[in-house]
Amino acid sequence: MIRFENVSKRYLTGLDALAEVSFEVDAGEMVFVTGHSGAGKSTLLKLISLTERPSRGQITVNHADLARVRRRGIPQLRRGIGMVFQDHRLLTDRSVFDNVALPLLIAGTSRSETAKRVRAALDKVGLLAREKASPLTLSTGEQQRVGIARAIVAKPPLIIADEPTGNLDPQLSVEIMALFAEFGAVGTTVLIASHDLFLLKRMNKRVLVLDHGRLVDDFRPQAAGT
Amino acid sequence: MSRVVRNQRTSAAAVVKKGAEPRGPRTPIRARLAAWREQHLYSFFSSLGRLVARPWATVLTVLVLGFALALPLLFWLVFDNARELSGGLREAREVTVFLKPGADTRTASLLASDLRKRSDVADVLIRTPEQGLAEFRELSGFGEALDALQTNPLPSVLVVTPRESLDTDNPPLVGELKADTRVDLVQYDAAWRRKLSGILRFSERVVAVVAALLALATLLVIGNTVRMDIQARSTEISVMQTIGASNGFVRRPFLYAGLWYGLLGSAFALLIVAAVELALAEPIGRLLDSYAHRFALRGIHVAAALVVVGASALLGWLGAYVVTARHLAAGRPR
Repeated sequence: MIRFENVSKRYLTGLDALAEVSFEVDAGEMVFVTGHSGAGKSTLLKLISLTERPSRGQITVNHADLARVRRRGIPQLRRGIGMVFQDHRLLTDRSVFDNVALPLLIAGTSRSETAKRVRAALDKVGLLAREKASPLTLSTGEQQRVGIARAIVAKPPLIIADEPTGNLDPQLSVEIMALFAEFGAVGTTVLIASHDLFLLKRMNKRVLVLDHGRLVDDFRPQAAGT
Repeated sequence: MSRVVRNQRTSAAAVVKKGAEPRGPRTPIRARLAAWREQHLYSFFSSLGRLVARPWATVLTVLVLGFALALPLLFWLVFDNARELSGGLREAREVTVFLKPGADTRTASLLASDLRKRSDVADVLIRTPEQGLAEFRELSGFGEALDALQTNPLPSVLVVTPRESLDTDNPPLVGELKADTRVDLVQYDAAWRRKLSGILRFSERVVAVVAALLALATLLVIGNTVRMDIQARSTEISVMQTIGASNGFVRRPFLYAGLWYGLLGSAFALLIVAAVELALAEPIGRLLDSYAHRFALRGIHVAAALVVVGASALLGWLGAYVVTARHLAAGRPR
């Protein structure tokens, strides 16, 4: 699903965010990316969503060679990725329903189909009753769940999340992670950047460890079998 | 029947699309058309909803646009009416011949019959001093003042209608009349008419230049309003872009907003023009009556109004397009 081959990213400021990173994530796999702040987690996610382009190396996402994706093709690529952010980035001037419906609106899904899928997504994150609420009236945990509903509503084959539990207390974090694990179980690839070591240990999934832009570790809980 | 036609049209569109896009459409063309319609409907209403949500800002913008558009329209109306008015004068080709004060009625009719014999004269009308005085009394309103006069100061006047329009500077007829000893003054309006058409041409140009400048102002006002709108919604735009919105999708609501501004602005401009017409109709009507001219004030034509509305909507769309293009170009990493 995702393949990095000797990928380096140097920003215009001269900062080397990633250096010679190579790894591969299979379809349906759930993988964490961890490391101290500034280790390159966010950069890695930005490269996948083509918010940034690599300085060197090759990236393949969902069978697409990103170097060949032209500017006009970027939106199409992003529609295949469900993105969750630490600050959830909901639009506060719209209802929960409209927020979740946004990817479908962009994709041009019909209205009846949209309503069906938005309700299914909200149901999955347990917020079906709040569809008419404004995101501002929700708790942080609920807002993050709306963000997740928005990421999954278009049924993308890949979900990437940047510190999705960064603002949540441990109990909520576990709940949110359990949600992500569910998607992984139904064949969706999930890539989560997180520095919450306790959570990583608890989730017991594959972890990529970045340090100063280098991939220093790639450990799987069940070391036997690849 | 209509179903058949629609099917044909859809399949024709499908063929065209296939040719244009070698990868081939991923979804059926009918669904894509439906999606396209859905998105436009969404942009159409959401942009309108946004304008309504901020009534004061919208009203202010529309007022500014309305005045900016009304000014050239009013100029144009004045110009149009002036041209219409001068149309009658331009066709007037009479040569007015004032005889010397001493010349009596016999002299006048003698000269008139001489003139009638000429091949380049169609008609000659004699106006005696008495007729002139009566007409003057009626038109000028100085009746009582004229009563005080002991004698009639007006000369006999011959109104000569040439057979053809005398477009040359100094037609022989005028020259000969000027040379005649019985004639005091020959009033032939060629020079004056040339001045008039010069003035008209000049004011036409003024109207065009002012209209162009204010059209530019309209473009800028709408562009700037949309730019502020974009800044206010930059978070939303970046969220949309992150989750896969194309440039077209992001841009569309702003284009519609520009369109709305243009439409509303021009509607308001037409309202201003109508109000000005209404306010001026009565005094102008009286003024024209007093000149006993067969001339009616011309308002703005329906077709012209439609052109104004259309052009202004187009300007709004364009202004929004330029601004969003700039923003989208700046917002994209490579």
